Amino acid sequence: MKLHEKILTHYLSCTSPVDKEGYLYKKKERNASYQRRWFVLKANLLFYQERPADRHLLGVIVLEGCAVRRSESDGQFALSLAFEGTGLKTYRFAAVDRQTQESWVKALLSASHCYLSLLVRDLERQYDEAKQQQSSAGSHHRSSVGALKQSPPTSVFLPAPGPAAAVRETRSFSASAVLQAPSTATRVAAKKSPKLWPRRNALVTPLNGPAPSYGEWPLVGFDPLEEFSKLHDYYGQEVRKAREDWLSGRRAREEGDLIDLGVSEAQTPADHLRFT
Amino acid sequence: MRFNEKELVSLSRQPSEMAAELGMRGPKKGDVVKKRLVKLVVNFLFYFRTDEEEPIGALLLEQCRVEREDSQSFSITFLDEAERKYLFECDSEEQCGEWMDSIIKASYEFMRKNLIFYRTEIHRLTGKDPLEQYGISDETRFQVSNGLQLAPSATSSL
Repeated sequence: MKLHEKILTHYLSCTSPVDKEGYLYKKKERNASYQRRWFVLKANLLFYQERPADRHLLGVIVLEGCAVRRSESDGQFALSLAFEGTGLKTYRFAAVDRQTQESWVKALLSASHCYLSLLVRDLERQYDEAKQQQSSAGSHHRSSVGALKQSPPTSVFLPAPGPAAAVRETRSFSASAVLQAPSTATRVAAKKSPKLWPRRNALVTPLNGPAPSYGEWPLVGFDPLEEFSKLHDYYGQEVRKAREDWLSGRRAREEGDLIDLGVSEAQTPADHLRFT
Repeated sequence: MRFNEKELVSLSRQPSEMAAELGMRGPKKGDVVKKRLVKLVVNFLFYFRTDEEEPIGALLLEQCRVEREDSQSFSITFLDEAERKYLFECDSEEQCGEWMDSIIKASYEFMRKNLIFYRTEIHRLTGKDPLEQYGISDETRFQVSNGLQLAPSATSSL
């Protein structure tokens, strides 16, 4: 299979910062000796070369579907990347001290695309909740609650701002573009979670304009609050379970056994939130 | 450059919602459109000959430009070089739009920006850093400054 290397090396050398770099000893497969290499971690890619100044890259390890483990073999500050699947490799490394070992393990644990994807989904949910809580009683989702909250009008009645999906400008990004909430409402497509319906009320919906299409209104006879809390509970359970797994994994890690952030074989809606 | 080929091939076999037979044309002069099974897994676009188990190739979807070419086709340009522009022909305008959208959103850098945005906003709205509960608030990759365009610097490991 051809891996278009220039794309990877270009990505490595572009202006977005690296996530971690430093020396580690990489174990050779054949004779179990170690060779010092300079590693550069960026996104879910672990590049390595002989020295930091080298232009020539020796290799890259794509970090998806592997378990990151810390081990104490031979009294070394060792760590490994164990890929799950028949015939797949385990890469072994050693660090010079405990601090380096811990720091790399931690960085590698949060490196996969899958992990980031779950994290973004979770934060998106938290963000939506935080925005809802901030909204005033005018919002029709809250109208049946009864408790009218006095809060100053905010931009709540507009579609929830999110990071702009820059169709053309995927390369350069300025500070302001990232930290501002742009007006275009483009959301990361939640493939597994159902999308929240856009909020509608008299302040937003033009009275003389065409009615929004059928799919954009909550269903007739459907209590949005009840549904949302059901949704919240359902996904909340999954997230709670994921958090518990994470916490118990952290505890287990303290005993030397790390949790596994590999790609699961089956990608059902529930599976995608499990870490093992 | 060495890479973990077997592991990458294994990754290409993971289930994906974005997998379809599309017309694909390579960037070189004289390249013609060929039917390929194109599959999006994490931030890689794999392409297979139909009914083959191992992909022909893998394209990393970072630092690339996705553009609509006509109503049913789009292109991906890497390194800002015309010599690295791949064309994809879809069966419908809708399918074309879906692919473009999915590819853009699959980029790790795009997701990182989203994350930093949500992290900042949640902190602003609630006063809490949502990454604390996961014990990852200090990770370099999730820092707010990561979204800024910084001059490349030799950041040393701890």
